[in-house]
Amino acid sequence: MTVGEKAPEAAAPAPSAAPVGRSTGRGKAETRAAWLFLAPDLLGLLTFLGLPMVLSVALAFMRVDGFGTYEFVGLENFRRMLGDPQFYDSLRLTLVYLVLVVPLTFGASLGLAVLIQRRMPFVGVFRSAFFLPYSVSVVVVGLVWEFMLSDDVGVVGIALRAVGVRPPSWLGDPDFALFTVVGLCVWFWMGYYMIIFLAGLQDIPRDYYEAARLDGAGAWAVFRHITWPLLAPTSFFVLLTLTVAAVTGGFELILVLTNGGPSNGTSVLVFYIYQQAFTFGEFGYASALSAFLVLILLAWSMMLFALTRGGRFSHGRS
Amino acid sequence: MVHRHRHASPPGHRGPDRRALLRGGLGLGAAAALAPALAGCGPSEADAPLSFWSFNGDAPQQEGQVQQQSRWYLDIIDDWNAANRQQVKAQYIPLAVYNNGSKLPTAFAAGDGPDLFVISPGDFLRYYNGGVLEDLTPHITAEARTDFLPNVLDTRSVGGRVYALPFEVEPIAMFYSVASMEAAGLSEADIPKTWDDLLDTGDKLRSAGQGGIALETVPGYYQNFVWYPLLWQTGGDVVTPGGKVVFDSPEAVKALGLWKDMVEAGISPRRNPAAGDAVTGFTQGLVSMWHRGIWTVKEMETSAPDFEYGVFRLPIPDGGTYVTSLGGWAFAANAQGRNPDAAARFCAEALASMSESSIDRVTEWSIGVKTDIPPRTSALERADASGGYDRPVMKAFREEIYAGGRSEPRFPPIVYKAVSDAIQSCMLAGGDPAVEAERAAEKIDGFMLTYEGAKLL
Repeated sequence: MTVGEKAPEAAAPAPSAAPVGRSTGRGKAETRAAWLFLAPDLLGLLTFLGLPMVLSVALAFMRVDGFGTYEFVGLENFRRMLGDPQFYDSLRLTLVYLVLVVPLTFGASLGLAVLIQRRMPFVGVFRSAFFLPYSVSVVVVGLVWEFMLSDDVGVVGIALRAVGVRPPSWLGDPDFALFTVVGLCVWFWMGYYMIIFLAGLQDIPRDYYEAARLDGAGAWAVFRHITWPLLAPTSFFVLLTLTVAAVTGGFELILVLTNGGPSNGTSVLVFYIYQQAFTFGEFGYASALSAFLVLILLAWSMMLFALTRGGRFSHGRS
Repeated sequence: MVHRHRHASPPGHRGPDRRALLRGGLGLGAAAALAPALAGCGPSEADAPLSFWSFNGDAPQQEGQVQQQSRWYLDIIDDWNAANRQQVKAQYIPLAVYNNGSKLPTAFAAGDGPDLFVISPGDFLRYYNGGVLEDLTPHITAEARTDFLPNVLDTRSVGGRVYALPFEVEPIAMFYSVASMEAAGLSEADIPKTWDDLLDTGDKLRSAGQGGIALETVPGYYQNFVWYPLLWQTGGDVVTPGGKVVFDSPEAVKALGLWKDMVEAGISPRRNPAAGDAVTGFTQGLVSMWHRGIWTVKEMETSAPDFEYGVFRLPIPDGGTYVTSLGGWAFAANAQGRNPDAAARFCAEALASMSESSIDRVTEWSIGVKTDIPPRTSALERADASGGYDRPVMKAFREEIYAGGRSEPRFPPIVYKAVSDAIQSCMLAGGDPAVEAERAAEKIDGFMLTYEGAKLL
């Protein structure tokens, strides 16, 4: 066939007998199979996540004494929330914590991923070492750090004193405790998100890097124009999951290390919710606080989706 | 330009139709309908043993002290099971989960609380006001009731009825390391008797490079419990028996000021030394004195038997009167459990019967399994007779420290939290005691206006 020659009509594929969108026998079977595969996960999600969430929102409108008494109180729990000074303190601490934990963990994990994706000796050892904290129980991590940060005999304090620096009381001073928890959270999570970034980096075709190098691009230009844009979907995923993990996941560490102290200095919103529910038995109020937190996270996720076009960023337009 | 792959949905792909969803729903319904039938294949609920939750019974740890405590619980259960058709089974919950965790509150909230459980005074009102504490009075004879030491039943009783039975009394005192005192040139004659003495001694210990005077630093019921003696020694209180809030007082300000002064002067650490482990703290020289309870004696005897230490009464403020806190756990029966009457009888027969085994059991816990003061006169006499308080440290607890004790208060969570915030702020965040006492009193006042429940003691 020569260029520009019109293909004979007979060669054109015959239109499908079934209109697009209508189920065929095979289509139905595939749909059934898809639902069968999805069903266990879906059932699990609905039973253990969806239903408790709905019930939790319902509890937010009730006074619950924790012993079987449920009394509808309308918006009372939300009114109480708006007049509760410690709610605002917890909210402020949570914002400070998030503003530090999310960018620091994001930056540290991306930096580590970029560094260890290179071919170098013992790269496997480095990868394992950075990931190792995440594989240990957070309670164990908390206890180990409690000893390492001990005011008198903690190894961190000893090292600082050896170089003439007087260490603060890392977990006993309200001015430092939250920052200490932030540091530990970053250290704990960066290995996990490093692995996710590493997977994203390894998905980027090598050809682009080779072409960029042939064009004389430096390391920064390569990162700025190839790595960063092609890593956008991974970055979006990390940002979203990291925010949720930071809001909910720092709780265990705080419970083990400080129990919300000193002087409520680490009583972030999730800890305050836990305390209201399980220490004070205020399940209704705790549910109202939880509903508020879920709304915030939902708003954040939607904003992130909107700003990044669902993780495609500006590169998704084509 | 970056090229991106797009996966288009194959033609003909559709979501599930209504019929498919209906089938799925029916399947779920069938599963739900089958569940009770399947459950019926097991033993009936009436025959199932009553569950007894504690942080001791059936503990998996092999450590000697923990095993001894576990054995004590299991022996009680074995004795009961041998004589009764209604069986009881121990369920171990780690202390960290039991004391400040979600397991117990969640179980009760779900209407599935244990039939039997252990309870501290700090939690008593929440459970009593929630209507889950079974009245144990019908199973306790008058003789057995008068056998309990004065006041130990007060914080577990409402309107003259007993709702929990203590098996231990735990006074708070000050432990000290003999080596640290000697290293600072101090002798027994220098043991502090007043708050001023305590500050002076702490200063001398610090100047000599010795460990500090440890005070509880972690916020929680326990910190309040060990702090209350300071308030009571000044003549202050949180709430009067009549329900009047009296925390905004010079006495409370003075009590809040002591721990603040000790921390700010560098005499007391901002964190519990050795993560709160007394044995490590003392033996490693991290601490010279520690404001703790009588259970420390057993810890030291078990893990550091050769370490030389002593104990003395909590120092008092100028013009104050000696008081210490008396804590301790108690057995309770769930009024909404499967067999509340049997559960109540279990508690009474185990701890409040005039039988030899009941008295021996309480004695054994206090001087064998743990180091405590038994809550019953008969058990205390047996403990005395068997030499349980002959060692100098136990003798000090028996004769000097326990006398003048006051039971750990039973306050609802909001009252506890208001006091806790005041202690934490003054001790660790530079808070002004006068401001914090006023703030706490306002919170408690607001709460008391609408509080409907058993009396705060």
